[in-house]
Amino acid sequence: MDTLVTITVVSRSQEKADRAMNTAFSEIEQIAKLSDFYSPESEISMINRKSGISGVTVSPDVLEMLSKARYVSENTGGAFDITIGPVMSLYDFHKGIKPDASKIRENLHFVNYRNLSVDRNNSTVFLKEKGMLVDPGGITKGYAADKAVEILKQQGIHAGLVAVAGDIKAFGLKPDGKPWTIGIRNPAPGNSEDDIIATIGLSDMAISTSGDYERFFILDGKKYHHLIDPKTGYPASGCRSVSVIAKKGVFTDSFATGVFILGPEKGMKVLDKMGFEGVIIDSTGKAQITPGIRGKVEFKKTPA
Amino acid sequence: MSLRKLLHSTTIADKVLFSLLLLLSLSGIFLIKAFVPEGHTVVIELDNKPVYLLPLDKDGIVSVDGPLGKTTVEIKDNSVRIQDSPCRNKLCVRQGWIKTGALVCLPNRVVVTIDRGRETGNTIDAVTG
Repeated sequence: MDTLVTITVVSRSQEKADRAMNTAFSEIEQIAKLSDFYSPESEISMINRKSGISGVTVSPDVLEMLSKARYVSENTGGAFDITIGPVMSLYDFHKGIKPDASKIRENLHFVNYRNLSVDRNNSTVFLKEKGMLVDPGGITKGYAADKAVEILKQQGIHAGLVAVAGDIKAFGLKPDGKPWTIGIRNPAPGNSEDDIIATIGLSDMAISTSGDYERFFILDGKKYHHLIDPKTGYPASGCRSVSVIAKKGVFTDSFATGVFILGPEKGMKVLDKMGFEGVIIDSTGKAQITPGIRGKVEFKKTPA
Repeated sequence: MSLRKLLHSTTIADKVLFSLLLLLSLSGIFLIKAFVPEGHTVVIELDNKPVYLLPLDKDGIVSVDGPLGKTTVEIKDNSVRIQDSPCRNKLCVRQGWIKTGALVCLPNRVVVTIDRGRETGNTIDAVTG
């Protein structure tokens, strides 16, 4: 995982700031190591290897992440499903390989979060069917941002910002007394990374965005991106991007994916039900904003 | 009185807030970049990397650790000076107070600039997407 982590802190002392930032970064690194889908040594790989065989004792971090993942699945009607692994791994977004329809159908059978058992009392995780794979890519970064902020606060930092790629958690206020300004990337086709469609000021909140521009290839004029619908095995087509704002990064990260897959209409309902805020830019480029942040999101460009 | 004690006991210094931004990549690349507060900014760089960004209109004293030792920078009445430096000829200290431009201490690799160009009104602190 090549992820850029940015930690900003407000502090009176450089030494204190450095120490806090380094501790927070080590924590992020540790979480990334535990949950690396591709490293055979990670706890996630251990769980996957033991699918259908036995439960695996895991660290509190992995236990917490997977238990939250189940909760998100339940609250998105399975649109977010951490057991998407067997279908996800059929796609190669680098090489632009689209899997055979029959292979997708075959592997979809293994995608079912209900068969992921998370036993909090015994700190064990068990994939009930052989062939199942958990892919925590849609929740790790947000969770890591939460933990990093926790660490910074423990180290006596009162304000700062942690961005694990696009999963951002802000706390306290900037030295000028203002909230942190977060830019939302423009999801219009062919956009560049620094093309911002809107900004919002945040304090003590997390924000994450799922967009169809992150990992994709185009085949026969059709865009295949990484936000795969666990029901069909194909990329969801209702949205271009979904940004979710909530207290916890573990939820903004995973619900951004879930809401994207549900599409604008059902997605808005889920945000409302959860009490989260968000910006949904649908496949035509039209933006929808939850009532709680209307007037707070500043559009730099007219969506479309 | 040590500088740290001074920092902790000075009420003026208490009002000064320092911002630091650390950019790290999980693949191991290490960079430091700075966040810009509103208004005119005093940028203190060590080895060409910004380590402190301070508002020019807030008085305070900070120090940075260069290869020779601590360089102490003072901000007062919208001016800035290098108060003390471990370098031999102390050319940087002799530059005195400035309101524009830069103070440079080559031996200790410290550069202090007053940045009047950047305003933070529309600065974006992070991008999601």
